[in-house]
Amino acid sequence: MVTAADKVDLLVVGSGAAGSVFAAEASAAGKRVLLLEAGPARTPDDLVSSQLWARRQKWGGAHVEEEGNHRVGHNFNAGWGTGGSTMHHYGVWPRLHENDFRTSTEFGQGMDWPFQYAELRPFYDRIQGAVGLSGDATEERWRPPGEAYPMPPVPVFGQGRLLAAGFARLGLHTAPLPLAINSVPYRGRPACLYDGWCDAGCPIGALGNAQTVFLNSALASGATVQNDSTVTRLLTRRDGRRIEGVEYRTGDGELHRQYADVVVLAAFTVQNARLLLASANDRHPQGLANSSGLVGRYLMTHPTVSLYGMFDEETQPGFGPTGGQLLNQDGYDNKLAVKDAYGSFQWIIANAVKPNGLLGIANNRADIYGAQLRPFLQRAVNHLGVMTLVAEDVPLPENRVELSSKRDAFGVPLARAVHNLDKAGAALVAHALEQGAAVLTAAGAREQWRGPQAGMHILGGTVMGSDPATSVTNSYGQSHDIENLFIAGPGLFPGSGAVNPTFTIHALALRAVEQLLRDWPSHGTQ
Amino acid sequence: MESLHKRRSLLKALVLSYPLVSGALLLSPAQARQRKLPLAVLDDGEAADLESVIEALVPGSAEAGAVHFIDYQLARPAADSLLMLRYLGVEQPHLNFYRAGLEALAQHSVRRFGKRPSALPAAELDTLITDLIADDTPGWSGPPASFLYFVWRSDGVDVTYGTEDGMASLNTPYMAHIKPEQVW
Repeated sequence: MVTAADKVDLLVVGSGAAGSVFAAEASAAGKRVLLLEAGPARTPDDLVSSQLWARRQKWGGAHVEEEGNHRVGHNFNAGWGTGGSTMHHYGVWPRLHENDFRTSTEFGQGMDWPFQYAELRPFYDRIQGAVGLSGDATEERWRPPGEAYPMPPVPVFGQGRLLAAGFARLGLHTAPLPLAINSVPYRGRPACLYDGWCDAGCPIGALGNAQTVFLNSALASGATVQNDSTVTRLLTRRDGRRIEGVEYRTGDGELHRQYADVVVLAAFTVQNARLLLASANDRHPQGLANSSGLVGRYLMTHPTVSLYGMFDEETQPGFGPTGGQLLNQDGYDNKLAVKDAYGSFQWIIANAVKPNGLLGIANNRADIYGAQLRPFLQRAVNHLGVMTLVAEDVPLPENRVELSSKRDAFGVPLARAVHNLDKAGAALVAHALEQGAAVLTAAGAREQWRGPQAGMHILGGTVMGSDPATSVTNSYGQSHDIENLFIAGPGLFPGSGAVNPTFTIHALALRAVEQLLRDWPSHGTQ
Repeated sequence: MESLHKRRSLLKALVLSYPLVSGALLLSPAQARQRKLPLAVLDDGEAADLESVIEALVPGSAEAGAVHFIDYQLARPAADSLLMLRYLGVEQPHLNFYRAGLEALAQHSVRRFGKRPSALPAAELDTLITDLIADDTPGWSGPPASFLYFVWRSDGVDVTYGTEDGMASLNTPYMAHIKPEQVW
């Protein structure tokens, strides 16, 4: 049996970074807003300072098949539950640089964005004020124009001081890491305790995420979050020109329909593309919003490697934000600086680490076991230093989300994410790792080693642009094909840059929802 | 810093709940092992092999209840699992992964030494682990051996060092968050 609820003005699929901004602004404007969230409800009492518990906040939905020499790491990057990925994100919020928006024009690589940094700047500034960022804009010599941060930087602990000295000895610079973490009380939320548990969620609300900021506002304005509701199909009108609503399954397996004037797909990169492709119908045989054939294409992830050093000095590696304490972006703006390589990179420096966990101390030396393990851990919990590379990924059409021949429990084809790193990207990583090794040596590390190379963040797959032939949406995330369908999140990015994307996701969502509210798609019957 | 060390702990993560006629018995994995509570999904042979290998990888993990912890997580709904494996792109149900891995391990051990892992002396168990690390496992028919090594070692670290007691044994503070006094 299919049940259908009353029509809403705005239906948002996903309650994470992008969806929460849409919901907050639309509900504040008087729209009737419903968010369908596949994962369970979360409250502060559910959050436990534990690397084990943190795992429940990562993807718990349909399996994602992965292929390629540099997989995107879907399950580690995707969230599960109210707030989506923001509930486990580390709050590292640098801005994209001005030339990240015009890589084709400036470097002959990738795609230009459909607007320039100056267009997004005011939205960065407004999001920064609403969420509250800590940092020091003047120390970020590489930072594009923007308002100063509303809070001072987080403190620097032992490993940060040592690593900063290493950068300095090589003539490189560090600045406080811009973080969506309160260094002082801000807008009713307390300051951080610096106990290194960001990965498990922040029960005191010092870390800015969907629940602490925009989702909170949305709920206060009357929006509704409905958990355990997995959207399985987008429904179009018979002529295919408008979205009517969605089908979704609740935890009991029951099928429901929800109708809406406007649908925002904000279910993160891979699931957005999967849903569009899986919603193919007679009018849209390639999938919805896919007249360009580009839904799923240009999948990206930031290549990342953590470097570790053991120091004689006390480093306090369990303290501070998980995302890090300091930032280096020297050389970011010259994407052709390295022979045979392309792209920018940054170092996020002095990440807090705990003994266990995928990125924990034990797993960064997976070769040590047996009787040697405890002495290593005893030393590392006091003397380890960590710095993490984030590198640019070039958008390539062959990197993609496609549908598998296998189906999930609801009969929807699984997503298959295919991602390979090209030679120029691999060369960039190799160059950066040489630099990182030199920094650790200069910092005085007695031993050093690398963690595995992996994918951090997942972007692309529903790229925006000005030309319907070469993009899936316009600059607001509005489908070129279906005017009342919006797509939100990092899937819109036509390029990855080399910075953590959550700040940009928020800024794009704010810009998009304001346009949506200015120009609400008519009910057109044609 | 001392105040940080004294913060209230909210370590619900390592409590296993066993149903009773009335209510539930809440135990740590170590207590569950100590009381020899029956396992939910792993059989005795699988459990013995798994405990032998994990203990060799992470000394102390057997007493910490690694096998009871893993068994408990494998038996619960996939979305509630606390196993690190859920990060690593392995299709659910993860019992299939552990079971196939344990079967391949036992077969390799019997081929190599004529005994299951749980019956191996320490030196041969160490050789078995070296085989896993190097994927030097001719005829292996389960998940990649080196990947199993990584997963099982990580499970052992979780139970042994991912707790307040475990971190105390490393002389490092756990520093759990203070429970929020009000909802956001």
